[in-house]
Amino acid sequence: MSDLDRAISDLRACKTIPEPAVHDLCHKARELLIEEGNVVQVDAPVTICGDIHGQFHDLMELFRVGGDVPETNYLFMGDFVDRGFYSLESFLLLLCLKVRYPDRITLIRGNHESRQITTVYGFYDECMRKYGSANVWRYCCEVFDYLALGALVLGTSATLEPAAGMDPEALAALPMPTGDEEVEIEIMNSRNEVTSRFPRNRRRPFENEGMAASPPTSPNHPAKTGPSGTAASGDSNGSLANSGGAVLCVHGGLSPLIETVDKIRLLDRKQEVPHEGAMCDLLWSDPDEIDGWGLSPRGAGFLFGSDIVKRFNHMNDLSLIARAHQLVMEGFKEMFDSSIVTVWSAPNYCYRCGNVAAILELGEDTTPGGVVARCNGDGRREGGTLEKSGLVGGPGRRYRVFEAAPQDPRGMPAKKPVADYFL
Amino acid sequence: MALVVPPPNDKKRVKVYELRHNDWFDRGTGFCTGRVVGDESKIYVESEDQPDRTLLETRITKDDGYQKQQDTLIVWTESTGTDMALSFQEAEGCAAIWDFVSHVQQNLMAMAGPDDALSDDAMDNFANPLSLPRPELSNLDDIASLMRTVIATPQGRDSLSKLVISDDYIRKLVPIVTMAEDLESLDDLHHLCNIMKMLVLLNDTQIIEHVVTDDVVMGVVGALEYDPDFPTHKANHRRYLRDRSKFKEVVPIQDLAIKKKIHSTWRLLYLKDVVLARILDDPTFSVLNSLIFFNQVDIVSHLQGNTAFLEELFGIIDDPNAPHMRKKDAVCFIQTCCAIAKNIQAPGRQTLYANFIQNGLLRVINFALLNGDSSIRVAGTDILVAMIDHDASMVRAYIFRSIQDSKRPLTDTLIELLLIENDLGVKAQAADAIKVLLEPQQPPPPPNAETMARNSNNPEFLSKMRNNAASANPQIDSFIQNFYDNSASKLFRPLKDLEKRRPIVNLTFQEVSLFQHLIEILMFLIRYHLFRSKIFIFQEGLPARIAQLLACQHKHLQLTALKFFRTCIGLQDDSYIQQMTKNFLFEPILNIVYTTMPRDNLLNSVCLELFEYVKRENVKPVIMHVVENFREKLEEISYVDTFQSLILRYDQMQGYNAEADTTLFSQDSDGNPHRTSVNGNQRWQGVKEMDAAEEAYFNTSDDEDELANKKAATKRPSMSNGVSQAARSLVDYPDDEEESLDGQVGVMERMPIERLNAQAADENTKSSIPIASTPPLERLSEKRRREEDDEEDELGKLSTTKRRSSSVSSVSSGVSIGSNSSNVLRRKKGFTSSGKETTGGSNEKIKISLAGRTSADGEGKRDEGG
Repeated sequence: MSDLDRAISDLRACKTIPEPAVHDLCHKARELLIEEGNVVQVDAPVTICGDIHGQFHDLMELFRVGGDVPETNYLFMGDFVDRGFYSLESFLLLLCLKVRYPDRITLIRGNHESRQITTVYGFYDECMRKYGSANVWRYCCEVFDYLALGALVLGTSATLEPAAGMDPEALAALPMPTGDEEVEIEIMNSRNEVTSRFPRNRRRPFENEGMAASPPTSPNHPAKTGPSGTAASGDSNGSLANSGGAVLCVHGGLSPLIETVDKIRLLDRKQEVPHEGAMCDLLWSDPDEIDGWGLSPRGAGFLFGSDIVKRFNHMNDLSLIARAHQLVMEGFKEMFDSSIVTVWSAPNYCYRCGNVAAILELGEDTTPGGVVARCNGDGRREGGTLEKSGLVGGPGRRYRVFEAAPQDPRGMPAKKPVADYFL
Repeated sequence: MALVVPPPNDKKRVKVYELRHNDWFDRGTGFCTGRVVGDESKIYVESEDQPDRTLLETRITKDDGYQKQQDTLIVWTESTGTDMALSFQEAEGCAAIWDFVSHVQQNLMAMAGPDDALSDDAMDNFANPLSLPRPELSNLDDIASLMRTVIATPQGRDSLSKLVISDDYIRKLVPIVTMAEDLESLDDLHHLCNIMKMLVLLNDTQIIEHVVTDDVVMGVVGALEYDPDFPTHKANHRRYLRDRSKFKEVVPIQDLAIKKKIHSTWRLLYLKDVVLARILDDPTFSVLNSLIFFNQVDIVSHLQGNTAFLEELFGIIDDPNAPHMRKKDAVCFIQTCCAIAKNIQAPGRQTLYANFIQNGLLRVINFALLNGDSSIRVAGTDILVAMIDHDASMVRAYIFRSIQDSKRPLTDTLIELLLIENDLGVKAQAADAIKVLLEPQQPPPPPNAETMARNSNNPEFLSKMRNNAASANPQIDSFIQNFYDNSASKLFRPLKDLEKRRPIVNLTFQEVSLFQHLIEILMFLIRYHLFRSKIFIFQEGLPARIAQLLACQHKHLQLTALKFFRTCIGLQDDSYIQQMTKNFLFEPILNIVYTTMPRDNLLNSVCLELFEYVKRENVKPVIMHVVENFREKLEEISYVDTFQSLILRYDQMQGYNAEADTTLFSQDSDGNPHRTSVNGNQRWQGVKEMDAAEEAYFNTSDDEDELANKKAATKRPSMSNGVSQAARSLVDYPDDEEESLDGQVGVMERMPIERLNAQAADENTKSSIPIASTPPLERLSEKRRREEDDEEDELGKLSTTKRRSSSVSSVSSGVSIGSNSSNVLRRKKGFTSSGKETTGGSNEKIKISLAGRTSADGEGKRDEGG
């Protein structure tokens, strides 16, 4: 058993690993992460996850619901640490998996992956408690600086394949669209049962489903008859390929300083998250029901409206932006005609918010010629065709919603108490 | 007005605190009296130092929400909304004033009685509507449900708190726990657990203080071991708390009250972190934190004034016969004290360090830093960093003195530690400490509204600054000079020695980390000591050495080296750029672009960012050099347009006309006819031909490329550049002069920090630059905070805790009990502060997070997280 495998099995059992092992791991992770671009390219299929926040047992539940690494490809959109009681174990486990299966798991940076934030929201304290010195915290913070700022998921499928291991009878019993209709969104619970399905290009009956708050508000874009468009061009109706277009994943959102995905490549990301500027915005911004840009109540990043998202997606041939950063009680929330989605993966946040969590599965487009080389929004495309072409349909999306892990088998979650006290 | 008690007018020594910007601000120490003036009752505090100065004069009204916390603290809210606290030296003094306040309030209440029937306090005077049955195994269920109903309303919570205290109800519950355990009656235990939870979450300071007292604590946590949320589990809180071995009494503490306080503080911590961790709501969390904070301050204040104790404590270090473990404990004890001291107000901290130093704190540090046990070295650097953070000039003065006494100065120890230390944590701390010591106190921080605002609230800081301005400055200056004269070459020797090592192979792990620290220190120096560092760096030929590292095997070291050059270029100082061009240091950088080019990795991004900066800021000497020497290389890099733009810039500078280079100019979108004619005659005017819009763009925007901008400009007629261009070419000369001055010659003299900072803010590299404008005091107040509404992160919250430099942050590893507990009596902060203006929230009702005000709590959970 290699050191790494041993570390993985210890961490899976929620045990801390010795300081030298942490150092070793961080060092290896750094070597890997330095090779990643600011925006990592990830091929579908992939499962996209939002904030974890040190809720180790819920992370285990996530793996149970979504499939284990390396069988399932994962993309975690940051905020691994703080608030929960097991930031260290959660982050180190993810890092171990990254080092062990570099192509199977992608980690990008969240606003909590920062020295300043972790000293306030718990990770620093946790390291001090668990190791008695700040060394481990330092090692981890060093790794934070190397984490990519975003990811671009390519080769997604517009259609959803049935989830593996699903009971066909249960499926048949669903009052859901069947037959030829293409399913755009499918929601499953943690028992691998489909709870809702929504066909493409139809006003979705969310209100009737009692899920008004969760998925898309409504698809206002014109009905299309053919399969969804490829991402390669704006007017993609009727294209033969079955691609769901490219999906940009960032922790927070967009920045007024970033017009195209390629501009992210020009940032020097190896630094503490700044208080302003493009890098800060990517990690701190939030979508909001406003026009254009707005000041963020968080004191960092911006609020951005539907027009911004649609324009950005159009300019960059994106079908969807996936982001995390905001607690949503239903685990996920699509906004702005499904042009952006918030994915939240920390159930019962802070052990008391009572929310459920979700992960987003994007399937792989297996049709021949389905993978279209994309042009990275180089600004050559003229604006103003937005209305004409309509929005790219977006990939088929399967949300798996799950609740907090059943009890920790070894007791109640709690912080590690102070070992000795002098005063 | 008939008072039941006479106003206490014998003087009580007291400290007056006011909550300002979420920090308890010390208004001063004085003597407190209660007086009746006319028909008003007032509390006065007169300053101890200047008896004619009144620190506090406040009228007691019936609804100010006075609270007594612990034995020595009275907290209330002024009618202006300001939160105030009086911290008494003696419990009796506090009790006397408290009696006075209560009686005044009762009288006021009685007077207001009939027409103020809604006041629940007044109601309480007549009849307490609530009563609880004496707890027995048979009625626990009923008690629990009764409580659940009662706590639904704020009034209910209030009366329940009062009843629980007046009835000593918890003490009645304790025996039931044992009974239920004996009977193995899980249901009853679950009821008891629920009851205890509800009582604690009543968030009443008195109750919380009560539950950690010796008599009842075991019963309370015993009940809490049976959490109905985890029906199959039982926690082991009692076993943990009974384990006396966890208490390390390095030197016996004689004062029993203090000892008791130590234990109950530890229990509070355990309660907060373990027993209640999952269920704590934010107000209760704050109350626990505030109790812990005040306890710790009391304990440390007591100990630091206890001469016998300190002598014994510090004596351990000097005692050759003391066992190693005992010395280690002593160092850790001192480390804990220093960690707690961070949360004490400046004057208190000042005395603490003064007392510690008098007893030999610096000997302790020396002992610790040179110790073979790395955990002691860690603790030692921690203490040192805490001390430097507290008052760097004090440490500098000490080092100065040892230099004069030709003793080995602390700087040398630190340098040695950095060079040979194997423990990477200690190494990092040593590097941080060196930086802090060398930080000039006087780089005029930009008139930043935020710092101004904070400073003006802190007269101590201001006075300190004034003193420094007068006296400390030459000292820092000579300190820094001394560093360059005597220590710098020692520190950077390993870098210099690279000259003999070509090519650079087989760097050990330790070397890599050392070089990283050294380069980072160097980056710090070139930013902070513009002149001295430059002379030194050029003398030692360090840029060429660092350039060697650009080609090493270790990518993260390459990265650090790259960042060094990025910093040099960012200074826009011709001499650095000359060094780089003269030594052809751009070649290895371009080589990195080449080797990483097809891949889009971190090194590549950092290179691109560097050349983007050159392009954006139009750093002409670099453009000239790079294009003249590496034109072909640049032309081959086509996957981004940065390098083509550099060539274009160069060609424009050379005054190539349109015919000569039509292809390039055709890219230039608008093909402005004025451009070439203006240009043709004037070399070196590259930048001037930009129109106003474009110029504004380059001044403000970061990440858009030229081409896109021009396109945008053409699309927006209002910003079209044709007109301004024409107008400009007519009045071009004065502008030119001004700009060339600004851009080139004037740089050296006019480079001051403001500009540096402005640049830094522009560039996104801000955080890696130590934030000069952060006053040292603020840094110390780096504190853990948890606000009522902390479901949402606000960077603004952090603004007051902004630490010097995040990437090199010297977070001193405080022992955990210290790090958690500080600054807890605080208000929720609106969304103001932090550099940005914000819209929302500033008008939001500020909620107090002090004990007891449970009524409005628990709401305000936002949908935002992360």
